[in-house]
Order: sequence, then structure tokens, then C-alpha cells
Amino acid sequence: MSKTIFKYSLTTLFIFFFLNCEKDDICIQDIQETPDLILLMLDSEDNNTRKSPLGFRIRAIGTENILTQSNGDSIPLPLNTKEKITQFEFILNEGNDNENIDTLQINYQRIDQFINRACGYRANFILQKPSITLLNPGNDWIKGYIILKDTITDEKAAHLGILY
Amino acid sequence: MRKLHTWAFCISFLCFSLSGFGQGNDKEELQPTVTLDTLKQKEKTPLSLRFGADLYRLTRSQFSDEYNGFEFVTDLRIRKKMFLALEIGNETITKQSEQVNFTTRGSYYKVGFDYNMYENWEGINNHVHLGVRIASSNHSHILNAYTLLDRTPFWPNFDEAVNTGFATGERSNLNAQWFEVVAGFKVELLSNIYLGLSLRLNRLLDYEKPENFDAVYIPGFNQKTDENKFGASFNYTLTYNIPFASKKK
Repeated sequence: MSKTIFKYSLTTLFIFFFLNCEKDDICIQDIQETPDLILLMLDSEDNNTRKSPLGFRIRAIGTENILTQSNGDSIPLPLNTKEKITQFEFILNEGNDNENIDTLQINYQRIDQFINRACGYRANFILQKPSITLLNPGNDWIKGYIILKDTITDEKAAHLGILY
Repeated sequence: MRKLHTWAFCISFLCFSLSGFGQGNDKEELQPTVTLDTLKQKEKTPLSLRFGADLYRLTRSQFSDEYNGFEFVTDLRIRKKMFLALEIGNETITKQSEQVNFTTRGSYYKVGFDYNMYENWEGINNHVHLGVRIASSNHSHILNAYTLLDRTPFWPNFDEAVNTGFATGERSNLNAQWFEVVAGFKVELLSNIYLGLSLRLNRLLDYEKPENFDAVYIPGFNQKTDENKFGASFNYTLTYNIPFASKKK
């Protein structure tokens, strides 16, 4: 009889052991991470036309890290999760005589969503009103913006359109 | 050869149970005729109450800053080999589990039966038991800190844990119910003092998922992993037995 008990105990211990190294202890790659803000550069005359500016670059304020430039007309912008605002310099005709820098501030609220123990939380953002503030008015090349989607939960669709 | 053994085992089991039945019938037949026997039978079912505490939880509370808990255990002998068992406990645990840091606080109780399978010699009273429990807990989760998932961090200090904001804080009044299969033994060290160890395989029946978080730890149930209803725990008990039967004369 005690042998049976011993077997039971062993099985229980084994199960306990396996429970401790389950798949949920590893955050798998398929899980979606904190999304970036997706920006579209649009024609100010026709809000539906996408347009790529010449000599265009975006620089983030507050970090030395350089944004990876995407070739397409939609630009992913990482938002700072430590702040409620993120500032970017939108540079047109970079390096030329007619270089024009517009500094924009994006205003948002962060809402964290639980994924699981291994991955932690994912930050989602809700764009506030106004979503964008222009910090250096005068000689603006950016004419305005339109909100395409005010909740940033994924990177499947664009959230903001910049008109110029 | 193996088959033969199995059969022999099965048949012997049958014989055993049949003979058991036979004896039972005999007694019932005898009872009304011999009145003295009924008295003797009363003495044969020694009702006794045993109570004590889980030493593991007590020592762990002493040595760990992150754990505080106790468990009272008690069982009542209702048949020669059957025990009505009850465990009541309270636990507070703070844990860094992967990307989240939480505190779980709550109480639980477990009710069930133990069946002693050990054939004792005369005068010896040890246990090798199998049992079942139905358990329930009421607890709260406090999310202390967590990290945000970003595989390609751009901003500095991104991986710094978040310990403020609306996602952190307490989720109170959560419930969980589960079922336990218990295997263990108790050894009588001194007269009426027992040392016992029991292993428990738990299966969740129902639990409340805290808002924007998960039931990561349930007091009494132990750690709960995602999408898994099974868990395991154990206790190491020191108990004292009060025999009632001797008073009944």
C-alpha cells in the first residue's frame, strides 16, 4: 500500500515540477507589443492624397536615439510611456538653405493592458484634445492634422494624418 | 504470468470484500439478540478529534519577508478508517513573477475526507491516507509593479517598472473554488502527537479573474499558471489528538 502512495507522491511532485516550467513563463514573439503611433503625410489640399515630403526627417526630442526612417508614406512614431507628451521635430529640406523645422507635441493618455505574467503589460494610448500642439509657430510648413483613429491599440491602421 | 497475478489480485480483492460483507451481516444479525455487543461496538468506533498546525507555513513566515501565513488543521474520526478533515488558513505573499510584482492576501478553508489505508498493529496508530477536499478562498490581489512590453525600445528607461497609474492597485474580494486530491501520512511520534505530511493535487473549479490582471496566486491553492486549472501544494503538520472514546463509558 505504501508503494502506491509513494507513486502517487512522485506523480504529484512531477506534475508540480512541470507546472513550474510552462509556456506562459516565456513571452512568445507572436504577442503584440506596445504599439507605435502611425503617422500619414497628407496633402493639405486633398486630405485623401498621401504625399512624401522631400528631404524629410523626424527627430525625437529628449533622446539621442535616431528614428528609423521608413520608406513608405506611413511613419511609425514611438511614444514615450514615461510621459503624457512626446515631442518631435519635423524637418523639411534637411541640410538645405530653406530648411524648415516644425516642432510638434503629441498629447496622449496611456492605458496599460494586461497580457500575461511573462509579457507583462502593453501600453495603449488615447489621443487627447488637442492631439498635436505646434511649439514653434511662424513659418509653418505643416498646415494641420486630422485624427484617423484616436485609440492606439495596434499598428494596423494609421492614427494621425499630417497635412502640409 | 502477469495476467495470472492480476487475476489473483482481483479475485482476492473480491473475496476480501465479500468476506467483509459477510462479517457485517453477521454482526447485524447478532446485534438484536446480544445486547452487550452493542456496547462493545460503540467502543470500537473511537471518535477522536485531532488538531494542529502546518509547520511549513509557520517556518516559511519566520524566514521569508515576502510570505506570511498559517494553516490550522483538524480532523475528526467518524469511522475506524474515515476522517472528516478541515483546514483553515490565511496567506499573504509578495512575489515577483516574470514581469509582474504582486501581493496576494486572503483566507481559505478546505473540507473533506481522509481514508486511512494503513493496517496498524494493535496499539499502533499510524496513517497512510488518501483523501479529497473541497476548498474555497476569498482573497485580494494588489499589483505593485509591472513592465511594459516593447521588444525594440526607443525611449530611455523604457524597461523601468511601472509602479503607479490606474493599472496598479488592489483588486479586492475575489473568490476561487477548487478540488483537491490528498495523499499523505501521519506518524504518531509520542502518545497522541502526530507528525504528518500531505501532498495535494489541486484542480480549479471556478475563479474570479481580477480586472486587467490574472489570478496569479490563490491562497491555499498556491501558484496558478495561465490557461491551466491544475496546481499543487503540500503541508507538514504537527497535530495533537484528543480521544473522546475513553470518556464515553
